[in-house]
Amino acid sequence: MALETISDGRGTTVTPPRTPVVPRRRRRAWGVTAAVSAIAAVLNLPLFFALLTSFKSDADIARSALRVPDTLTLEHYANAMGQAGYDFPRYFLNSTLISIGTVVTILVICVPGAYAMGRLGLGRGHLLKGIAALRLIPVIFFAVPFFLLFSRTGLYDTIPGMVTANTFISLPLGTLLVMSAIREVPHEIEEAAKLDGCSDYRIVARIVLPLLAPTLAAVAVLVFITAWSDYLFAVILTSSEATPVTVGAANFVTSTGIRWGDISATTVLSVLPPLVFALFAQRYLVRGLSAGAIKG
Amino acid sequence: MSQLVRPNRASRSRWVLGAPLLIFLAAVVLFPLGYGLFVAGQDRSLLNPDPSWIGLDNIAAVVQDSSFWRAVRFTVIYTVVVTSVELILGFLLALLFNRRFPGKRLLLSLTILPVMIAPALMGIMFRLLLNQDIGLVPSVLSVFGWEISLFGTDAVVPMLLLLDVLQWTPFAFLLFYAGMQSVPDELYEAASIDGSGYWRSALAITVPLLLPVAVVTAFLRGVDAFRTFDVVYVLTGGGPGDYTTNVSIYIYKAFSSGNFGIAAAASVVVCLILLPVVPVVVRRLADPARS
Amino acid sequence: MSKRSRAVSAALITGVLVAACGGGDSDSASDGTVKMVLWPGPEGEAMQQVVDEYNTGQGQTDGVRVDMTLLSRSDTFSKQATLMSQSSSEFDVYFTASYLIAQHAPYLEPLDVDVSDYFPVVTESLTVEDTTYALPLDVSNHFLIYRTDLIDSLLDDESAHDVYGDLAEQLIGQRMTPKHPDEWDWDDMIVAAAYFTQSHNPDSPTRYGTALQARNLLFNTMIWNNVLWSEGGSWLDDGGAPALSSDAGRRAVEVYRTIYDKGLTSPDSSQAEFPETQAALTSGSAAFAIQWSAAYAELDDPEQSPETAGRIGIAPVPGPEHRTHVHALAVGINKDSDRKDAAAAWLEYLATDEAMSAYAAAGAIPSNPSILEAHADQNPIFPYIADHLDEYGYSPPALPRTYDIYVALADTLSAAWVGQGDVDAALAAADDAIAQLVDAG
Repeated sequence: MALETISDGRGTTVTPPRTPVVPRRRRRAWGVTAAVSAIAAVLNLPLFFALLTSFKSDADIARSALRVPDTLTLEHYANAMGQAGYDFPRYFLNSTLISIGTVVTILVICVPGAYAMGRLGLGRGHLLKGIAALRLIPVIFFAVPFFLLFSRTGLYDTIPGMVTANTFISLPLGTLLVMSAIREVPHEIEEAAKLDGCSDYRIVARIVLPLLAPTLAAVAVLVFITAWSDYLFAVILTSSEATPVTVGAANFVTSTGIRWGDISATTVLSVLPPLVFALFAQRYLVRGLSAGAIKG
Repeated sequence: MSQLVRPNRASRSRWVLGAPLLIFLAAVVLFPLGYGLFVAGQDRSLLNPDPSWIGLDNIAAVVQDSSFWRAVRFTVIYTVVVTSVELILGFLLALLFNRRFPGKRLLLSLTILPVMIAPALMGIMFRLLLNQDIGLVPSVLSVFGWEISLFGTDAVVPMLLLLDVLQWTPFAFLLFYAGMQSVPDELYEAASIDGSGYWRSALAITVPLLLPVAVVTAFLRGVDAFRTFDVVYVLTGGGPGDYTTNVSIYIYKAFSSGNFGIAAAASVVVCLILLPVVPVVVRRLADPARS
Repeated sequence: MSKRSRAVSAALITGVLVAACGGGDSDSASDGTVKMVLWPGPEGEAMQQVVDEYNTGQGQTDGVRVDMTLLSRSDTFSKQATLMSQSSSEFDVYFTASYLIAQHAPYLEPLDVDVSDYFPVVTESLTVEDTTYALPLDVSNHFLIYRTDLIDSLLDDESAHDVYGDLAEQLIGQRMTPKHPDEWDWDDMIVAAAYFTQSHNPDSPTRYGTALQARNLLFNTMIWNNVLWSEGGSWLDDGGAPALSSDAGRRAVEVYRTIYDKGLTSPDSSQAEFPETQAALTSGSAAFAIQWSAAYAELDDPEQSPETAGRIGIAPVPGPEHRTHVHALAVGINKDSDRKDAAAAWLEYLATDEAMSAYAAAGAIPSNPSILEAHADQNPIFPYIADHLDEYGYSPPALPRTYDIYVALADTLSAAWVGQGDVDAALAAADDAIAQLVDAG
């Protein structure tokens, strides 16, 4: 048994069954599913408890967590959708627009920019160092300067303003990740394309871009999430028109305590848009695209 | 643009392709950076509406403040621990995912779900989850007879480390997993023909190929861990005393007290402390054919 | 360069330009709209009702419309600090408080407030160098909030007195008998807490006697100050020098430390503030706590707190002398506002009995004794607040950097509160911090 496990290139740590009823490989695969499910369950414990709390009445929340609730309520969801007097539909819309806008802007800036730096020698490494160093500065350093810049340019409390601010936040992440992926693209492909008379632009659009798909998907997901999660810049740079969900949710943290039910419901709702986006982006996160592109 | 030495067509396309990046840097980054540095050299605070230039005095005040260095010390330990644990766990999790199994798509999304919760909200959710009276974790533990305090003075630091690992391992996982997708299948097949086990071949093949990804992930995660704010602030406020005060909390406290000059100067010092890691990372990303 | 890629590059650049330069200022400053900042919670919600009433009533006459923005509790003041430092005119009315007034004063218009309407301790706390800069809204102070059913059973049950006496001998070194919470000093509180702590008294109905708020947080310093003040201490001595390294300071830290180290409060109290203390009470795991006045309404509400509603009593903060910290939340007019007249009209309305009655009816705790008396049926705690502020209320010295001192005290003392480090060293560090902040101010 042990020898067989080793000989199988895709073996897992799951102990092989004594009497294989189903083909071993499939059983193994289910073993992986079980292991991954367990890990996912642990990782999502906070969200799971938020989900439970979001349906409990205030009275039940205020008592032991293991007590079976007297009633279930949708009141907290109503509050998280605007019943509490805060314009949550708008906050959700703002967050979505800001996040999508940021993803688009980051890709538009970083993909050609990283190619220019990685392959065409733009900035000779110093530019990349500068961009990476931006990440090192605590975000709060930029709060007052951005406030000043945005107030003067009319970007304060606007969606384009928040897109700009979040692009700034995600620029080092986007650039570095795209750079690392471009580094992996074999030179031979580009050389061959150049011999065929392809321009640099065409190489980026037709050859590099498809090869980068999994990384770009990961970048898109992370940038979306980062923009979605931004709180500090949003507090400083918005006041009412462009307020995102994170700042809206802070309304449930009050001077007389935290509205656990309302903020739990908001948390649950607030993971849905990034989740949908991740599910959408996930299809680019698959193996084979790169291999296929190389062959073609 | 024709003044470039090499009459390479790359000389023009590099500027065209780099244009969005350069324009953004010029329009959005230069001013805030410059203005921030200017503030770092001013005695600007809420109590002082007419600030004047005091040069390096703020930097000196920060560097001489022993509580700043205690914050740096805590932050460095925190960063090293969580980054290494998250990198290792994230890599192993990516290896586990790097095969076909039922429910993979759904589980992939579920696994990265914690990253989707804004840290500001995550801190509050942790606070609820771990609340001794109404939280789930202490209730479940006490059913098993474990009356342990999660926020007691001995437990609070390990607790914070654990929570960081819980939220951010998926980040490392996602980047490693995406990186593994560009390792051609053929390499694995070749390895398994040789008779090496999956984990061994996976390590032998992926580790060298994923080194750049690992370096970038370590950098991104490390820097973010260094700047961790929301979860720690929401859970401990930096206390008891300054036991869990990290550099972000130090800076935030200066900022929210209206001491803008000190906050900006402390940010500059933090940046200077971290600066040596940049060349290490950038070197890894440099084009091997050109260097 | 192909046509297509040229188009792509153009699109990229425009995209960035749009992102960088797009948008525009849609608000015109010329209309009679007054923009005001407040924070979320009972104050913000009650104020919304007052705002609505004004906008449909008196505001029409004044030609003023009020638009309130709630910023998050923890970041309201950071955001305002940013706005103020840039002489922003975005908001016409700023939110402030006793503990911030000295910092905010340079950015606020002096106000002519009729002090006779308010608690004297409140208007004094909003005055900087003889000028009042803000109109008081809510008043905040502390009470000992206790479970009447539990305390009654302790007082009435003779057999409980033996247990209580034994615990007193053990913890304080002398026999004591249970007293009514109105008469407690800190030793009474400690022994009563032990009586209601299962590790000291296995028959206790609650797991812990009390719920300390010992997290490193400026608001928790305000609660701890009560112990300091009740022992006759203060931040500064008569000569204006820091005075925490004193018998009163030491005793005040020791009271917290004893409660924490003896397990009379949950070990997690080291990270507790308002919400954790509420949870300890609502879940029935603590018998009493020193808590903010605003907590009472929730604890006595059967909808929100079925375990405690109808069984909540209030007493003054224990002491040799009972003392309670008092501060007010308040609003002031932005010095850089373009609409100061409109803002003044709105504040004038806020100063009326009509506005503050509506505010009280909507769940807030206004700083006007007459309104609290008149609304006793609204919230049974109102008359107590009125009595207590007059009798026991104090407001810490209004120094330019009062806010920073609260923060520094939490930084330097919160570890000592929960048994970490040396008490004298912590007090010395606190004195150093105060000395620096007093000098720099």
